[in-house]
Amino acid sequence: MDVVIQIIASGLTLGAMYAVATVGLSLVYGSLNMLNMAHGALLTLGGYMCYAAITHLGFHPVLGLAAAALVCALAGLAIYVFATLPLLRAENFETNIFIATIGIGAVIESLMLKSFGPYPIPQPLAVSGSVVIGNVHIPLQNIMILLTALVAMTAVALLLQKTRAGRAIRATSMSRDAAQLMGVRVGQIYAQVLALSGGLAAISGVMISSIATLTPVMGGDPMLKAFIICIVAGLGNVYGAVLAAIVLGLLEAATQYVLGVRWSFATLLLLVILVLIWRPYGLFGRQQVVRL
Amino acid sequence: MTPIRRDILIGLICIAVALIVPFVFGGRYVVTQATVFFVWAIVVVQWNLVLGVGGIFSLAQMALFAIGGYATAMLGFYLKVPMLVAIPLGGLIAVVAGMIIGLACLRLRGPYVALLTLAIAQVMYVLIVNDTGCFTNVSGCMPLFGGVRGIGQFGDLGFRSLFPSKWYIAHYYVALGLLALAFVFSVAVIRGPLGLAFKALRDSPGYALSRGISRFKYQLWIFAVSAFFTGIAGGFYAVHFRVIGPTVFSFSLLLFLIAMIVVGGMGSIWGPLLGAALLMLADEGMKEFSDYRNIGLGLLITLFVIAWPRGLAGWFDRLRALRTSNPD
Repeated sequence: MDVVIQIIASGLTLGAMYAVATVGLSLVYGSLNMLNMAHGALLTLGGYMCYAAITHLGFHPVLGLAAAALVCALAGLAIYVFATLPLLRAENFETNIFIATIGIGAVIESLMLKSFGPYPIPQPLAVSGSVVIGNVHIPLQNIMILLTALVAMTAVALLLQKTRAGRAIRATSMSRDAAQLMGVRVGQIYAQVLALSGGLAAISGVMISSIATLTPVMGGDPMLKAFIICIVAGLGNVYGAVLAAIVLGLLEAATQYVLGVRWSFATLLLLVILVLIWRPYGLFGRQQVVRL
Repeated sequence: MTPIRRDILIGLICIAVALIVPFVFGGRYVVTQATVFFVWAIVVVQWNLVLGVGGIFSLAQMALFAIGGYATAMLGFYLKVPMLVAIPLGGLIAVVAGMIIGLACLRLRGPYVALLTLAIAQVMYVLIVNDTGCFTNVSGCMPLFGGVRGIGQFGDLGFRSLFPSKWYIAHYYVALGLLALAFVFSVAVIRGPLGLAFKALRDSPGYALSRGISRFKYQLWIFAVSAFFTGIAGGFYAVHFRVIGPTVFSFSLLLFLIAMIVVGGMGSIWGPLLGAALLMLADEGMKEFSDYRNIGLGLLITLFVIAWPRGLAGWFDRLRALRTSNPD
């Protein structure tokens, strides 16, 4: 019983972190057909900005988180202006933006390496202490991560469902042309989506670094997992992505316990390959991939 | 001059220049770096077949390279297979692996392929690095795949004992020969019926299919074809450095190779080779700024994709088009 509680607790924490990372990616893919390979670098940037704001500038931790989100939102906006916008006008957008964002991600990660060094740094935004459920100690940090993720997810859901901007984003991801004909400024929507995704990346980067540590390469692993989650859920499907993130988080915690840490990622990958063979457009993918 | 004759002429000139390089710049450093360049050029030229000609965004090329290298090293280390046999066998094993990866990607398109192949490479890396159990105790504890330290002491091509002080020149010529073979092979594929089928499937899958070009068959072909020399390059790399380790999976190396293709021009015949040469030279020239290497590579890739998506090869094409449009 204790083991189950332990697995659920760490699985939910993992799932919550992945969900926040994934939603940003999924939103961007849904509305722009753009796979943002710089997303992992944005996670890293967010983690370091929060650290810098708290330790070097003396911000309150909550303000530090907000500052990190703001910086990453601006970075997302910069990606839109300098890479997405010029590439949208040319052909082969999907492939080109993929390569371009690989380059951008490398630049951001190397800049972090240059400015903060290669050694792991603890994330100052952390709470100590733990709650006891049954015989299991669950760190307060995990609960804080869960709550933060819940707040972030609720905010995104409200934004998408209840506001004008959210409706425009959903319309654009359903059909770009129809949205444009209805008077949606698609360019503006793209910019908003990339900024939002950057902000979410920062939050998830701070959460991830608060239970691991800050390193310049910390973004790569969560990004790959976020991609896997996106694929399993069907690229561009935001709510499916949240569900898939939580399921995969639980699964990862379970495989880590049963088979050991080594195999958790390999199992995840195997699962993805199986899912993709069974349903090439993901579990909840609404858009049928052209079968050739 | 027809394009084919021009290609042959340029190729012969390049080979002639490369043949005399060791006599002109006898320094060991230059020759060794040129050898490494040949290895990367082989990989890039083969990768271009999948990426540029086939239009399949596979990032598994370094994984295939590693498979070739590891297969060669493990055959030599565990089964004492001589390297002359082990390297081609490594190439064949890479072909099988490439076909399996091609099968896994068969029903996916565009970015899904990139992610799946990246994930496959990442899993291989994680499994190799995290393996700490001893598989053999012959020369100290070693995991099956060598773990973090990699595999060494698996044999040699024999040049080290044959020419004790000049073996690196022999390796230079071996690598040059491999590159020439790999390049001729890639040109034959691009200009031949296989290349036509790949291009047709890339440009208009629906139409190609309706003309009876099987995507299943040709996607497996393209992965198999491009894997062979990549695997051999991996085997040669292992023999040349006398070790193969998980560093071949590094992201920085992947970035370097992608930059070569993007700068040179994806899908063109000479582009990847040109890009590889330029980036090796640039990398050498900026050794002092090696801290900024990844920043430079990242900026270069981004700049080229945004401003000149067809790379340097696109520049030459435009120049030629200009020349033919105003004959005066």
